[in-house]
Amino acid sequence: MDSVSSRAKRLESAISIFLLAALFLIGFAVFIKQFDFDMSRFGIGAAAPLLPARGSKTIAEEKPPFDSLVPSGFKKLSEAETYIPENLYEKIDGKASLYIESGFVKLFTQRFVSENDDSLWFELFLFDMAAVRNAFSVYSVQKRADVEILPSAQFGYRTSNALYFVHDRFYVELVGSSESADLFVAMSEVADKLAGPPFLLSQESRGGKVTEIPELTLFPQENIVAGSAKLYLSNVFGFDGFSDTFVCQYRLGEEVLTAFLSRRPGPQDARTTAENYYNFLIDNGGKAKPTSHDTLKTIGGKVVDFYGTTEIIFAIGPYVAGVHEAKNQQSAEKLAAQLINKLSDASRTTKND
Amino acid sequence: MTDQNEKKIERRQFLSRAAKAGISIAAAGIISAKLYDRQGPKAVADAGALVTLPDFSVPPKDDQTICIVEGSDRKATVSKAIELLGGMERFVKKGDIVAIKPNVAFASSPLLGATTHPELVAEVVRLAYKAGAKQVIVTDNPINDPASCFTLTGIGRAAGDAGAKVILPKPELFRHTTLPGGKLIADWPIFYGPFAKADKLIGIAPLKHHHRSGASMTMKNWYGLLGGRRNVFHQDINTIIAELALMVKPTLVILDGTVVMVTNGPTGGSVSDLKRADTLIASTDCVAADSFGCTLLGLRSSDLPYLAKAQNAGAGTTDYESLKPIFAVAG
Repeated sequence: MDSVSSRAKRLESAISIFLLAALFLIGFAVFIKQFDFDMSRFGIGAAAPLLPARGSKTIAEEKPPFDSLVPSGFKKLSEAETYIPENLYEKIDGKASLYIESGFVKLFTQRFVSENDDSLWFELFLFDMAAVRNAFSVYSVQKRADVEILPSAQFGYRTSNALYFVHDRFYVELVGSSESADLFVAMSEVADKLAGPPFLLSQESRGGKVTEIPELTLFPQENIVAGSAKLYLSNVFGFDGFSDTFVCQYRLGEEVLTAFLSRRPGPQDARTTAENYYNFLIDNGGKAKPTSHDTLKTIGGKVVDFYGTTEIIFAIGPYVAGVHEAKNQQSAEKLAAQLINKLSDASRTTKND
Repeated sequence: MTDQNEKKIERRQFLSRAAKAGISIAAAGIISAKLYDRQGPKAVADAGALVTLPDFSVPPKDDQTICIVEGSDRKATVSKAIELLGGMERFVKKGDIVAIKPNVAFASSPLLGATTHPELVAEVVRLAYKAGAKQVIVTDNPINDPASCFTLTGIGRAAGDAGAKVILPKPELFRHTTLPGGKLIADWPIFYGPFAKADKLIGIAPLKHHHRSGASMTMKNWYGLLGGRRNVFHQDINTIIAELALMVKPTLVILDGTVVMVTNGPTGGSVSDLKRADTLIASTDCVAADSFGCTLLGLRSSDLPYLAKAQNAGAGTTDYESLKPIFAVAG
């Protein structure tokens, strides 16, 4: 009987071990399988609607009071729409990244149509960019050439069918369906209303206190091309290490030059950034060139021949600055010297402060 | 060890216990087998089986693959281009159902060049009917509200006046598809319904700058077929455009470079974003059409990575000159 009992015990043990092992294997298989599923059916894709969603209904209550903007002789063509970073692409598709990378918070849109002619309509785009610098950046990098500057706006211009301007942290576009004079009058009326209650978009400028972007005052004014200032927030001139950089154009005779400057956290950071940009140019085929210009030599500015164009780069106080892709070295050095003088004054003022 | 455990078991008891254990295991197995769902859970109730877009292409003809016509009148240039490629009868047979896919992405005025010009859509509809089409469908899955897009671009009215049926996207018109060998188009919803019963497909795209991809032309136009959260593909825009060129095999593509959006694309907004190029391209090879088209933006085909990707995948050729393009002037 002992041997029978012993065999039974061994058999029971074996069955138990087998069952436990089977359970373990099943559990392990379930564990592994749960990581291997089709996202488009069971994950994000399944949760997503088959149709792309359009506009945001969930934040409709945040729409601004567009009723008060309706210009005379016009009416609202459609409901106001609101977009946030997650769905901005539904309105402007591939251009959404430009805004989102520049601090975009929200977009409000509204269409208006003539009461007498339904082919005359325009759309208001009100981009909340969180800060005037961000609004200026998206305004400036999209700025059209050969436009009429709007005297009423701090930064603004008109084309034959549209108005574009910056009001404090907002970038505003009013885009007409045609080049009609009636449309322009109506769009101008909306622009004026945007500057007053209840919007108060340009409260500071109306009160005499203009929202300033300090760097713009540091560019020399002689020979500057009016309205040419731009603010690039990242990857400036193809260099990853260069961000938050202003550029302005200058016309010297037939030649157009580009000056740039960027304020860094401190003088050491400015010197490092200047050195890195110089190395970037050399690493990509640039060749160091000597300079005989005393002002440039004094501050240790560097000149690089970059495939037949001249690049000048230097650091003064917290600023990295220079001249980009000039055709003529002498003109570039002259402009660089003017920029150095302005920045030297600014750095002295900063120290005295 | 307890006394209970040390108690010797009899043969009868052992057999009884073993039988009970066996019955329990068998019962568990039978119940599991009954409950086992071979197909697994269906998360999307109406996803159904995967679909594949029909192949709408027509047999190639030597030296009649691409035609480039200069002229400012879209009706004249498109008519001339199609005529020089063998006439609309080469592409549309009597009784065909023809689907036309313009770019109706935005609710913007035709003046701005962000969408296909309505005159061009109407003329192609007319030519298709003239060639014997039983029905012409004009459809797209816009980024903005579809009804507004078709109304404000003028395409809805132009297509309707020309006798076409305008189809707006609805959830039931979307089905899932997978592009064999595709990296991104895998079990993804596409706008399928209007194309399922069509015999021919003609794409008509405006030529414009695109902030993300460099240029939006005939291949990018197929982006409108994607459903779901298609903006995720913007992260790999070159691959998705190349995959779309493989997924869609059109009968003919028409690239309108009469007025080109040279900056601030794809939306534009100002007339000053536009430049007259007075050129229209028609081709059975969308890669070739776009490779020539990008030159009107001052680009080379090598500047647009999706063109090389599409060519390498077999969607067409970037060397449009090897196709001996037909050049002509209309009007």
